[in-house]
Amino acid sequence: MSNLKTKTEKKGYFGPYGGQFIPETLRPALLQLEEAYEAFKNSQEFQDKFKWELKEYVGRPTPLYFAANLTKHYKGGKIYLKREDLNHTGAHKINNAIGQILLAQFMKKKRIIAETGAGQHGVATATVAARAGLECVVYMGAEDMERQYPNVQRMRMLGAAVEPVHSGTATLKDATNEALRDWLKNVEHTHYIIGSAVGPYPFPVIVRDFQKIIGEETREQINEKANRLPDYILACVGGGSNAIGIFYPFLSDKNVKLIGVEASGKGIDSGEHSATLSRGAAGVFHGMRTYLLQDSEGQVQLPYSLSAGLDYPGVGPEHSFLKDQQRVDYVYADDRQALDAAKLLTRLEGIIPALESAHALAYLEELMPKTKSDDIIIINLSGRGDKDMNIYSEYLK
Amino acid sequence: MSQRLNNLLTKKNAAGEKVLSIYVTAGFPEKDATVDIIFALIESGVDFIELGMPFSDPIADGPVIQNASQKALDNGISMNEIFDVVKTIRPKSDIPILLMGYINPVMRYGMDAFIQKAAEVKADGFILPDWPLEESIEYIDLLKRNDLDLIHLIAPNTPKNRIKQIDDISSSFIYCVAYTGVTGLNSQITDETKAFLSHLKSNLKHPFIVGFGVKTHEDFKNFTQFANGVIVGTRFIQVLENTPKEKRTGTISNFIQSIRG
Repeated sequence: MSNLKTKTEKKGYFGPYGGQFIPETLRPALLQLEEAYEAFKNSQEFQDKFKWELKEYVGRPTPLYFAANLTKHYKGGKIYLKREDLNHTGAHKINNAIGQILLAQFMKKKRIIAETGAGQHGVATATVAARAGLECVVYMGAEDMERQYPNVQRMRMLGAAVEPVHSGTATLKDATNEALRDWLKNVEHTHYIIGSAVGPYPFPVIVRDFQKIIGEETREQINEKANRLPDYILACVGGGSNAIGIFYPFLSDKNVKLIGVEASGKGIDSGEHSATLSRGAAGVFHGMRTYLLQDSEGQVQLPYSLSAGLDYPGVGPEHSFLKDQQRVDYVYADDRQALDAAKLLTRLEGIIPALESAHALAYLEELMPKTKSDDIIIINLSGRGDKDMNIYSEYLK
Repeated sequence: MSQRLNNLLTKKNAAGEKVLSIYVTAGFPEKDATVDIIFALIESGVDFIELGMPFSDPIADGPVIQNASQKALDNGISMNEIFDVVKTIRPKSDIPILLMGYINPVMRYGMDAFIQKAAEVKADGFILPDWPLEESIEYIDLLKRNDLDLIHLIAPNTPKNRIKQIDDISSSFIYCVAYTGVTGLNSQITDETKAFLSHLKSNLKHPFIVGFGVKTHEDFKNFTQFANGVIVGTRFIQVLENTPKEKRTGTISNFIQSIRG
């Protein structure tokens, strides 16, 4: 485990995970994207533009906030929150959307498509597309449109067409299928801004690189505040973009324990969960080889989580690799635990978290009793909870 | 290389005839319908069969084949039962049968086991749109040893040097996707399509067969001006959907005649 960064024996792979399992029609677009991204990475002008956008438009750096009341509540180590919820549009998703719209413009694409679960990525994409003056279509599961309705309204206000997806479970995986089908048809002039560190290479690498700003800032901020690195970093994992974003700059720091929290829905043994890394097996899905919830026939199983952003049967391939390497510990929290954690944070700190991020918070119940008072725990508070108010109101009844 | 498939292509080519292939989802409309459907297709003079292995998330397919796949899965069709279909057909017919689907169910079955089983029931090869060259290359030898063809796809946006690469590695015919997009779209044969097909006709070593969007006799005629044959999928699934079970055999025969003209 000498150097975990971009371990790719075969191009586009993280160990045995990743790759490009895609129809031939998409191949030219992925090659073009790879070339555009290479140019982007090596161009100071692009990098400066990206950083400028994040600072002036998104509002970065986001604070690393010492949660004194939450710390006092648990009587263990010191808890810090990386406030990605304070980004423009309310979640970490905007980091990736900003980067990818620059790539789309560089490739002279005229049309943007995206998939969305909780709607955060859809809103972020609609936002950057509006600003760039590009046509935008967002695919969203019909069920997710209902449970995250405020975000549907936001996307429409931003001028995006929100296409309801009724196939399959009418959630994130089906929205992704539909976005891929659209891309197959319109690949010449359309860029697909994928929302998580998933899909065929180079998407998992691109999304990670655009999200690693979270971890880079965290590293600088904790050094400033505590003059050392943290003992634990926690993040929720659906596709895994906020998690890989905060984990990545710490992968070589062996003393920093990294914990990814998946959604165990109605319970890990209920058969209704989205705990891909805990209960899945390696398979091929959405263009990548990765852990996957599937049955003995290789059919993809229906994931479940109350949280629309974690309701996904796959996971980013780099997470699959980090699990096998035992560099990251992947655990889970269920619906009820997440709701309780969301309420606790709101009442103690006056911050209403996204239901997705609440899964990471929920794991504090298990972790904190094991910590010492001088331990430092950082949680990636990946998004804010406005979109979840219907669910929270229901829970408070 | 599959002898059955290559005999067919050689014979057709020598006779100056065009190939008509039909795609049918295994386990659709009823779980046990597939063997009878294939026999009806053989009776109607279809040249080879693409037997669809349903997958829960078929990203290269339009709504018609998506629904058929879901229906087949709801009917409870399993991979071993799909192999049984081939096994049942084989003693009575030498019609080439290619298994078409997505790579995950195949990998779940086990790559080696799948290849072995396919050879054992005397299938002729595979069409797996999400298993491109780079990912499948390590299995080429194993496939060859088992007389199975892996049919590669090319699309209108495939670069010329890659078309050559695919042609070089192919062991049988090449599956040409006539349009970008999913299966079953309504499309027109544009000048661009013609230029693409004509490039293939003059440059490929192997025969090529057009699929995706082939629905009518008109399409059959137009595409076979360039290609060695066509594959009809979506339209055939629609015919099955809209035909009562008792009228199926007759309707299949009429449909095949209407395509060939």
